[in-house]
Amino acid sequence: MIELYFQLFIQFFHIGVFSFGGGYATLPFLYDIAEKFNWFTTSQLSDMLAVSSVTPGPVGINMATFAGFTTSGITGALIATTSIILPSYIFVTIVSKILDKFKTNKYIKSIVKSLKPAGCALLSAVGVKLLFTSNLHLIGSIMLIVLILAGIKIKRDPIFILGICAILGYILGIINIIGV
Amino acid sequence: MRNLFVHLFYVITLVMEKSFYSIFITFFKVGTMLLGGGYVILPLLTSELVEKKKWITSDELCEFYALSSSLPGVIAVNTAIFTGRKLLKTKGAIAAIIGIILPSFLAIVLLASILNEIVHYKSIQNIFWGVGIGVIVLLFLAIKEMWTKCIVDKYTIMVYIICLLLALFTKISPAIIIILSIVIGVLNCQFNNKKEEEND
Repeated sequence: MIELYFQLFIQFFHIGVFSFGGGYATLPFLYDIAEKFNWFTTSQLSDMLAVSSVTPGPVGINMATFAGFTTSGITGALIATTSIILPSYIFVTIVSKILDKFKTNKYIKSIVKSLKPAGCALLSAVGVKLLFTSNLHLIGSIMLIVLILAGIKIKRDPIFILGICAILGYILGIINIIGV
Repeated sequence: MRNLFVHLFYVITLVMEKSFYSIFITFFKVGTMLLGGGYVILPLLTSELVEKKKWITSDELCEFYALSSSLPGVIAVNTAIFTGRKLLKTKGAIAAIIGIILPSFLAIVLLASILNEIVHYKSIQNIFWGVGIGVIVLLFLAIKEMWTKCIVDKYTIMVYIICLLLALFTKISPAIIIILSIVIGVLNCQFNNKKEEEND
């Protein structure tokens, strides 16, 4: 048990150190964990992401708490949340002490400039993987395309998008089109 | 005399407690109102910290936010730590952290336990089939938003493509790819320095 907790700590600490680019940036790392350990599956991860997007609080923290909880209950959730925040605390403390140097240093500017596309690329890769591993069928693919276009053109509102999807899923399930 | 000391002690503890407590409560409030991704955090923090509490100025908040998004970790948490530190040093940072993650923690633990109970029902599975598609939609919208923010020139496109290919077609872990991009950043900076020297 102690070994599992230690593993959890190491894994979520490393997410805290390496995830760049906000809320969804933790996803590639969780995906990686799902492939390496048998703590949770990639399809569970997609459910977690859905719940995290409509729950109060930062998505990254929600995901970490959820993943930790799925792995080993409340203790797991506590360990996951604490260890994903610890690197933030360390980094912010250091940076606020050397604030002026941090803001003007050429190297740091250049590193930040290349970290952001890297974070975006990791997320894109997860998007592609999710696309190919989920059973969309024809009707699901149509939903996907229409909603992405609607999200770009109208408004990116997670609760609205997930709400529509949930209702469609329920109705399509009743008339038995998707055959989950 | 004794009365005076008791009084003084009472006032001091009240002030101390109040600030730790009020930082905690404020970030707890922000945490509960933060729904659907970190993109709403800036307006939310502006209304709570700058307009209502007047703890920091709008410029400071923007600076904290910019710094937070160039550091690893969850942006909302980073911003909370910066603000908490500014208000009450380590104590403030801890109050801010606990405040902003507690709503998440409570909500998720509650939902996760319910979810494990109901996930076996057929209709719930259908709903989750639909929601699974919604998640991919949200993911692609998030990617699009990140793309417009960070892909600005040929150099960033190059980094993006290298990292994407590595992530898609190799088994390299995401952490290694991030380290690689840091190395590329350092090399690029040295390259630019040399070019500047030659120009001089």
